[in-house]
Amino acid sequence: MTSGRPVADWVLLSYRLPREPSTPRIAVWRKLTRLGVARIGDGLVALPADARTREQFEWLAQEIGEHGGDATTWLGRPLDPGQEEHMIDELRAARAAEYRRIADQARVAPPEDQVRVLRRLREELRRIGQRDFFPPPERDAAEAALRALTGVEVR
Amino acid sequence: MNWVTRPGVHIDRAACAWLIRRHIDPDATFSFGAGPGTAFDMPGAELGHHGGDCTFETMLRHYGLTDPVLWRIAEAVHEADLGDDRFAAPEAPGLDAVVRGLSLLHPDRQVIDLTGPLFDGLYEYHRQRLLLGREPA
Repeated sequence: MTSGRPVADWVLLSYRLPREPSTPRIAVWRKLTRLGVARIGDGLVALPADARTREQFEWLAQEIGEHGGDATTWLGRPLDPGQEEHMIDELRAARAAEYRRIADQARVAPPEDQVRVLRRLREELRRIGQRDFFPPPERDAAEAALRALTGVEVR
Repeated sequence: MNWVTRPGVHIDRAACAWLIRRHIDPDATFSFGAGPGTAFDMPGAELGHHGGDCTFETMLRHYGLTDPVLWRIAEAVHEADLGDDRFAAPEAPGLDAVVRGLSLLHPDRQVIDLTGPLFDGLYEYHRQRLLLGREPA
């Protein structure tokens, strides 16, 4: 966060996995989705670097190795600040879309199902929050939509 | 015996340190980052993440610990650490929040001392739950 840059460094995971069997490929894809990575290119993903994201990539790299693939982890940053901005915008937009889905589902919840929908969406919101590095305004909208589902007056 | 793990103790390392002290090596000492001894929860270590398991699960397997209460705790540690919905462990997010908060306040050595009683409590809760077949009072 020094020198006014939004991200101090990025941690990158460069990886290659055999095309077959497909199960490990799918497992890795799901993990990357859950981590909320920026997909820079074929087999190259990035996250803002912190102790946690570094560790997550290190374990994933090891797992890829165990599946007969190759993976290396890197620290770096784009030379062009514009490219960094673009990456941040993409990550923010990806989370915004997820938050919008939460809000949409909350709004159409049938009255007799509200409690069940609320529980599910709260859990999903928590998961999205874990991979949200640059919170978009849609987060507040999703939270408000869930509060409306509780039927409790907003303070 | 001395045990070595990476600095920045979070849920998996805290749970492993508790497991080592209570069930593997009562006289255990710990180093963070480097040092002689048995490495755990470090990339490349035998006692690490393997086959989708977190280090706590790997340690239970490695030391042949079959106590069902420990395996129930392993589910909570797994979900808190990896969050891949493999298990239903509703306490996982809370456990993760508390341990993460402690790691923001205290150095690693203190975190594993402070989280010891936390896992003792979790163990007792799940032990009684298993014996009673329902949630203890």
